[in-house]
Amino acid sequence: MEHTPRTSRLRFLALLPASALLLAGCATDQGESDSTTLTVWHYFSEDTQVGVMTAYEEMFEASHPDVDVENVFVPYDQYTSKLIAGVGSATGPDVVVFNGGEASTLALAGTLAPMTEYWDSFADAGQFPDGVVHRIDGEVYMAQGYVNLLGLWYNQDILTEIGVEVPTTVDELTAAMEAAKQAGYEGITLSGLSQGQGEWQAYPWLSASGFTWDNLDEAGLTAGYELVKSWVDAGYLSGESATWDQTVPFQRFAAGGVAFAENGNWQQGTAASTAEFEYGVAALPIGDGGQVYLGGEAEGIGAFSENPDLAWEYLSETFYSAEGQLASLEGSGTIPSRLDVAEDEGVTGNPLLAGFAESVARNGANYPPANALPESVSDLQLLGGQMWSSVISGQLSPADAAAQLIEGVQPFLR
Amino acid sequence: MSTRALSTTATGRTSRRGRAARWPYILPAAIFLAVLSAYPLVQLVRMSVSAVSSRTLRDPWEFTGLDNLMRGIESGDTGAALLRTLIFVTIVFTVGMIGGLAAALALRGRRGSSGFLLALMVFVWALPPVVNGSVWKFLLGDAGLFNELARTVGLTDTAIPFLYDQHLSLISVALVNSWAVVPFNALVFRAALMGIPPEVIEAAKLDGASAWQEIVHILVPSVRATAVVLSVLTVVYAFRSFDFIYVMTYGGPGTSTVTLPFLAYLQAFVRYDFGLGAATSIVAGALVIVLAIAYARNVRKEEAA
Repeated sequence: MEHTPRTSRLRFLALLPASALLLAGCATDQGESDSTTLTVWHYFSEDTQVGVMTAYEEMFEASHPDVDVENVFVPYDQYTSKLIAGVGSATGPDVVVFNGGEASTLALAGTLAPMTEYWDSFADAGQFPDGVVHRIDGEVYMAQGYVNLLGLWYNQDILTEIGVEVPTTVDELTAAMEAAKQAGYEGITLSGLSQGQGEWQAYPWLSASGFTWDNLDEAGLTAGYELVKSWVDAGYLSGESATWDQTVPFQRFAAGGVAFAENGNWQQGTAASTAEFEYGVAALPIGDGGQVYLGGEAEGIGAFSENPDLAWEYLSETFYSAEGQLASLEGSGTIPSRLDVAEDEGVTGNPLLAGFAESVARNGANYPPANALPESVSDLQLLGGQMWSSVISGQLSPADAAAQLIEGVQPFLR
Repeated sequence: MSTRALSTTATGRTSRRGRAARWPYILPAAIFLAVLSAYPLVQLVRMSVSAVSSRTLRDPWEFTGLDNLMRGIESGDTGAALLRTLIFVTIVFTVGMIGGLAAALALRGRRGSSGFLLALMVFVWALPPVVNGSVWKFLLGDAGLFNELARTVGLTDTAIPFLYDQHLSLISVALVNSWAVVPFNALVFRAALMGIPPEVIEAAKLDGASAWQEIVHILVPSVRATAVVLSVLTVVYAFRSFDFIYVMTYGGPGTSTVTLPFLAYLQAFVRYDFGLGAATSIVAGALVIVLAIAYARNVRKEEAA
């Protein structure tokens, strides 16, 4: 048969309907066999924390074979910007896992869906203390599957060598650091970064000196700043801490040669894998008046999730379930937020968690502070971090930093 | 109609046709620029004169005039950041230009080592600032290479606070930024030096000029035009520098390294006061635009010459 352009064209046209049917059939098959994807944004980079996210993914996929959970890592510094940028295009993840301290920022920016109805009908809601449920304008937007807080990590080998006990007061801590320094060790590591992480680490020492966000005592604040400045001047704390986030100082502690570290319960995995010395954790020696933020990541449903019901199921079966919280405890040493799980032997029988548990009971404080304006939480954290960093580096005297903070923070508080 | 008039008309028609024919080629670039540059700039200006926070980002923006600008100035943040920016720019400009010219002079030959060093410089220039900054943060740390060297030669017993002294930190980050711009400047200067006719240099040698005289009286004057253009580019580069500060100090210790671009970032993306951040960006942008105009004028003058 002769192939002319005309016959070729006719053949092509004749094939079109068949191709369309074939493609439609394929699309239908594809659609029927496709699983639903549930996107979960997080900013975890530590292996232990990533491991927990993977465990949750497997848990949920096992009970929902038609669902594909996709964990997406978004760097902490870009997380909020990306979420807010997504508001314009009405896009975003199904599940948001982010710093609970910034829940109000995310909610006010319209990146989260209210989950009050889900929460109110959640049978286990009563197991969660109020402090871990983030409400803005009466709506529940996020809740925490666990609590993170700071404690005093100590190098038992060094303490044994210099012959001191684990300190229970600031004076004892200072004396222990002096003894450690005399023996050739570094006293303490902590974060002095000029942003929220610095503010988070500063608050226990500042509150121990009499300053709190609902009692803006300038003399107490000055005393708190003078305390940390005296540590730098005496050589117990490196001035370099003014540039450290919370990861660097713990790596330095875990490498050995440092007596103490102010750091969190989430570092248990790093300690176990890195430290080649005997270590322990005690409550920060800040007396009864000192306060330690009860932080940790909070979880919520993305404002533009196409499957909010499924997102809620994921949350209630992982982060908010007893099984999920135990998995997180085992995987990365987090402290469960559920009252029933907090009584589990995994918590009460873990000597490392005992120090943190003591802090929760004695010094636990809301994070962010209850009297901070929801839209000003970030301002408060940044200002607090900058002043802390300024004092450590010597940019500002303790008195000047205290005066600047007291003056600058007024518009951010109720 | 005279022949001259005919010729002029024909030329005019050709010129009009030529201009019309250019449009299809220019249009994609023009649309690209309008969408990706002009539109965001217009939005930035709008934002700078409006009250925009994370809460109001999706609502119609309330016009507040110069309120954002005045808030920044009255808080003292803008003035302090501007001063730091000027110090930063001065260091990057001085080291970048002198270092670039010196490197170009040293590498102007065609020896094998020159090729290797040039390749190395291109590598340094092409390194992402995040990688560059992280490496330098490590090198300048208490236990880093520079402090180890300082201790070894007896310069200090403890450590030089390169990144955590309130004064030294700004200088350190500016020097690292200069280090990153030197390769680019060196490559441009070298290209200009290679354009000098060899006879000129040979004649100078025959006249008994020393190497120093050769540099001062022949090479440097020959690259004057390039230096002017490059100086504007270097200043603009230094002015908008953000990434090294972000990686190495995050504006700290305290606020020691908060320059205008970093201040705008903190205001817009940490405090979520987008209006205030936009106003600070406008201040920084206005200064860069002045320099850009100077640059454009200079290029036009050079082309006319």
